[in-house]
Amino acid sequence: MKSLSRPAVAVAVCAAALLAPLLLSQTQLPVYIVLVLAACVVTGLSMLMGYAGQVSLGQAAFFMIGGYTAALISLEELPTWLGLAASPLVAAAVAAVIGVPLLRLRGHQLAFATLAIQLIGLNLVGQQEWTGGDIGLQGVPRLRIAGYEFADDRAYAYLALAALGLIVLITRNIVASRPGRGLRALATSEVAAESSGVPVAAYKLAVFSLSAGFAGLAGGVYAFYFGYVAPSSFPVLLSFEYIVMVVVGGAGTIYGALAGATVITLLLQLLNNIGTMEGMPAAAPTVLSYAVYGLLLVLVVLFMPRGLVPTVTGWWERRGPARPSGDGPASDGAKKPDLTPTSA
Amino acid sequence: MSDFLQYLISGLAVGCGFALLASGLVTIHRVTHVVNFAQGMFAVVAGLTAGSLLSAGLPHGAAEVAAVAVAGATGLLVGLIATGKPGTSAQSALIATLGLGFVAYAVEIMIWGDNPRSHPGLRGNVEIAGAFVQKQSFLVIGVTAAVFAALLAFFTRTYLGKALSACAANPYAARAVGIDVTRMGLVAFALGGMLGGAAGVLLTPMMPISYNSDVLLITNGFAAAVLGSLNRPGLALIGALTLGVAETMVAGYHEASYQTVVALALMLVIMIWQSSRRTALQEETAR
Repeated sequence: MKSLSRPAVAVAVCAAALLAPLLLSQTQLPVYIVLVLAACVVTGLSMLMGYAGQVSLGQAAFFMIGGYTAALISLEELPTWLGLAASPLVAAAVAAVIGVPLLRLRGHQLAFATLAIQLIGLNLVGQQEWTGGDIGLQGVPRLRIAGYEFADDRAYAYLALAALGLIVLITRNIVASRPGRGLRALATSEVAAESSGVPVAAYKLAVFSLSAGFAGLAGGVYAFYFGYVAPSSFPVLLSFEYIVMVVVGGAGTIYGALAGATVITLLLQLLNNIGTMEGMPAAAPTVLSYAVYGLLLVLVVLFMPRGLVPTVTGWWERRGPARPSGDGPASDGAKKPDLTPTSA
Repeated sequence: MSDFLQYLISGLAVGCGFALLASGLVTIHRVTHVVNFAQGMFAVVAGLTAGSLLSAGLPHGAAEVAAVAVAGATGLLVGLIATGKPGTSAQSALIATLGLGFVAYAVEIMIWGDNPRSHPGLRGNVEIAGAFVQKQSFLVIGVTAAVFAALLAFFTRTYLGKALSACAANPYAARAVGIDVTRMGLVAFALGGMLGGAAGVLLTPMMPISYNSDVLLITNGFAAAVLGSLNRPGLALIGALTLGVAETMVAGYHEASYQTVVALALMLVIMIWQSSRRTALQEETAR
């Protein structure tokens, strides 16, 4: 993005994101909120996959933990802001505890282990009395911070945006820091990183907890916005959806995460609109969304293995008029370790 | 005691189904190093196809064999897409098989709808020492034993099987002696599809399946195969039988809803235990 300059793109994206809630209609706002919340989760997962080289097939589990934390605390008549503040912390803490044994696994083993964690979590939540079983928790009160009640969709849109802003800021700073470089190194080869003095185990655990915390925060906002949480709100397919977003957008880039979440959410909405048009069979929306999901995932993995954003920016830089020779690959270094590094 | 025997035999039967799935997973992983997330999907496709063919009037036997063949063709197709493009890493191929699973969901819902379906298997029960066991359980155990015997003969006695084993042992050396490693990968996928299909055809009469049953099937298959690090069919068989019996016992004596938790926890424990005996260096040089 040489000819456009990064700050200009960032300002444009921020402006569009901030203006959108004012311009969107009542029916479009919920889609926007879901989109922003997905972007929160996907940013963390993208960092985990792109920078730490770990695939998590159970990210929705941490989204669920965040949602249930916020709901349980608020339903206990405790201040609702406490629920929102606790949701990322509890999710990150759970990730830190289960991460110790789990992160000894790599590649497909870790992928299946995280999937197992989510299936176990869903099963347990569906059976406990204090989580409301399969019915879940209803009647979560509206979020109230310092006397201000988040009542309408627009308020929640800005709340979700604030969460995303915080997450992007944290991610950006980590990625640009010295630990960030260590992470990139361990995504390529753990052995090489370890022998150059990168504390591999500690860094992996930190990124895993951080990405879980991001998902937890998004889950907290979700619980307050929708007012209820149930196991069926956090299916395994949601975790797969996050993977699709990361892969399509491009793992290991913040813009990739945002683009992936945006493209997939809007595409799903569009397909849903087409599927529910008159004369379509009842199963059409599900069939269409599964088919497009799957095809998109396969095509991107095979033909754009680095994802949409890195591919497009790479293409832009190559065709750009001010063509700094030999600069392309250098700036690509950060985005490259996408799916390849942990192949087992 | 009769309860115990009943749970044991039906647990072994369920375990045999998992063993077939796991052996497909192992076959594919050995030859191509791809963990095939679509393995559960093969079982779903075969189970649903068998049901449709039976209700279309095909006799038992023919319908099941045809369904297994359909699953084999599906396996070949998945292999072609996931590994056909040169330079696709094993991890990318895993994500590609995940995507193909989604495409299969769309196709399955279009053809069969989204409700769980089942097809009739062997009817009736057998009484052994006071325990009533479904005849289908014995059929599953018998067929699995035959399939494993055939697999053993295939891998040790036939040229194709030996070529597959050669690719699994050392792809470079296999290529050097003129074995087409890519083609062998596709053969492995087709074989994996048929094994998954056999599991689906045999298990559907005992547990109705719907399009999204594949997640549970693949996690069970993976849990079984992980005992042998996805490379050793014998250990996968032992893992699958243990898993099947453990799940049925938990369901029988405790509560049915906890059976998957037991399987998944067992898988996690085994994986973590195995990882403690391996170093990162061993894993990185092994790929």
